[in-house]
Amino acid sequence: MSFFTRKMSRRTIMQALIALPALSLFRKLPAADPDAIVEINGWILKRSDLA
Amino acid sequence: MIFDSYEAFRAVNFTAKVCILGSGPTGTTIARKLGAAGIPVVVLEAGSREFSDDSQDFYRGVTVGDPYFDLDITRLRFMGGSSNHWAGWCRVLDSQDFEPKAWAPDTGWPISRADIEPYLSEVHDILELPDFRPDVPISDDIRWVQLIKSPAVRFGEKFADELDKSRNVAVVLNTYATELAGDGRRVTSAKLWSNGQDAGSFTADYFIACTGGLENSRLLLWSNQRSNGGVVPKATALGRYWMEHPTFEGGNAILADYSAFEVDATNEAFFSPTLAAMERLEIMNFGIRLIETPYPGVKRIIADLACTAPEMAEWVSYQLSQDLRCAAQLYVAWEQAPLASNQVQLSKADVDHAGVPRIELHWKKSELERRTLLEGLRLFGTTLVQKDLGRVRIADWLTNGGDYPTNEELAGHHHMGGTRMGTDVTKSVVDANSKVHGMDNLYVGGSSVFCTSGECNPTTTIVALACRLGDHLSKVIGV
Ligand SMILES: Cc1cc2nc3c(=O)[nH]c(=O)nc-3n(C[C@H](O)[C@H](O)[C@H](O)COP(=O)(O)OP(=O)(O)OC[C@H]3O[C@@H](n4cnc5c(N)ncnc54)[C@H](O)[C@@H]3O)c2cc1C
Repeated sequence: MSFFTRKMSRRTIMQALIALPALSLFRKLPAADPDAIVEINGWILKRSDLA
Repeated sequence: MIFDSYEAFRAVNFTAKVCILGSGPTGTTIARKLGAAGIPVVVLEAGSREFSDDSQDFYRGVTVGDPYFDLDITRLRFMGGSSNHWAGWCRVLDSQDFEPKAWAPDTGWPISRADIEPYLSEVHDILELPDFRPDVPISDDIRWVQLIKSPAVRFGEKFADELDKSRNVAVVLNTYATELAGDGRRVTSAKLWSNGQDAGSFTADYFIACTGGLENSRLLLWSNQRSNGGVVPKATALGRYWMEHPTFEGGNAILADYSAFEVDATNEAFFSPTLAAMERLEIMNFGIRLIETPYPGVKRIIADLACTAPEMAEWVSYQLSQDLRCAAQLYVAWEQAPLASNQVQLSKADVDHAGVPRIELHWKKSELERRTLLEGLRLFGTTLVQKDLGRVRIADWLTNGGDYPTNEELAGHHHMGGTRMGTDVTKSVVDANSKVHGMDNLYVGGSSVFCTSGECNPTTTIVALACRLGDHLSKVIGV
């Protein structure tokens, strides 16, 4: 067990783990621009072409 | 007047003021201009009225570096020169082609497009061209340009009658000017070879070398060597900065609406970059030729696309099932960066039947050109996506950094540079009037004076420059 986890209670760790998915919802992910130009297998495409 | 041999010409009493070497598009155009101005001209033509293997043999040579056409295949040595088998594709260099490019050393002409514009209506008559339509910008990066496929005027055939009847122009066939003799200020004579033997010398007040984009360098290199620098006194750049238009299939395109671009009679359309795009990407000029893909080719493209963008592949299949044109091959021809190391040299090992060293052509494509090809296709592909005009696939050999394919067009049979126009005597051979630096009476005509090549076929510009030189000399000589 690392120094960091030894100092935290079991309850705190559990709470942190439960909160994780909720936190990821608030994380600001850059939305993939469907008009962005991508080069795949030599093709020059719009990202939305890949759907 | 047309004479079939130098002996026949000698029998008449014709004193020429100007001696033109070569009767291709350049020599013929200058001769007609001078003749019309009342100036007596002799055109010495190495070949006869027809093709012959014996004459072609004088054009043999070797290429060192990248694969290139045999030097006796890529040009013709008889009356009318290579116009006897040119394809007749026409376009004039763009104004941007004359400008120096900060990212490509040794670019820029001492003249601008405006200097040849006054001659373009004459050029249209000579080459039987309709007017060019203006370029159509399809994005900030790409222009849809026009390349006219003309009736391919054969200069020997078209002007034979006129020249035969002319009182001022004497065309002397089967007469090879093997070298010019000079004293460092003037050319004093041309040494001749006719009917398989030495035929003495010919003198005139002015000489114009119009022997083609490879042969001008050969003639002047050999003449200079024989005259100890008396023909091209400032010879550092002589033979150097030789250029072609390398041409390769760079990929394919699928098009949303093939009729968005009015294709020509052979279903082709042409695209080039804007100056701003060239500047931003630091690349040379290029021309993308869009050619309709035959049915089996489209099927291959669909199969390939299905792995990456299945819905789009489905759309293409549907178009194909409706018999709609939807796919094209992309051929790219590009401007070579002028390099001093690309050059015409005299062979140390081989001479022709008249004892003149044959050509050893040193020619290699550069990294900048490879980048021009790849970035050019990306630019075109991006424009098609942004404008929803279609999609581009770049060939594997290009994206994988592979070698150039060896089974393709290779280049355009466009021989440019070697006697470049310029003001810096270490990087050019002729001045803005096509007069050899330091010489009073020696001029050079043809694409060997090109400083850069642009992306388009050269002969329309060659003929415009020939009209300009003819005009200039008429004024210099006066009558
Ligand atoms: C297959 C092919 C297709 C082409 N297609 C096109 C095209 O579609 N569009 C385009 O713009 N261009 C095209 N070209 C290029 C075009 O043919 C040349 O740009 C044009 O012919 C150059 O004209 P010129 O008079 O400068 O030289 P040339 O046509 O080479 O004429 C030179 C003349 O000089 C003569 N000569 C050579 N040495 C001597 C000497 N020492 N003494 C006396 N006479 C000599 C030769 O016999 C010849 O008649 C093509 C070329 C080829 C080979």
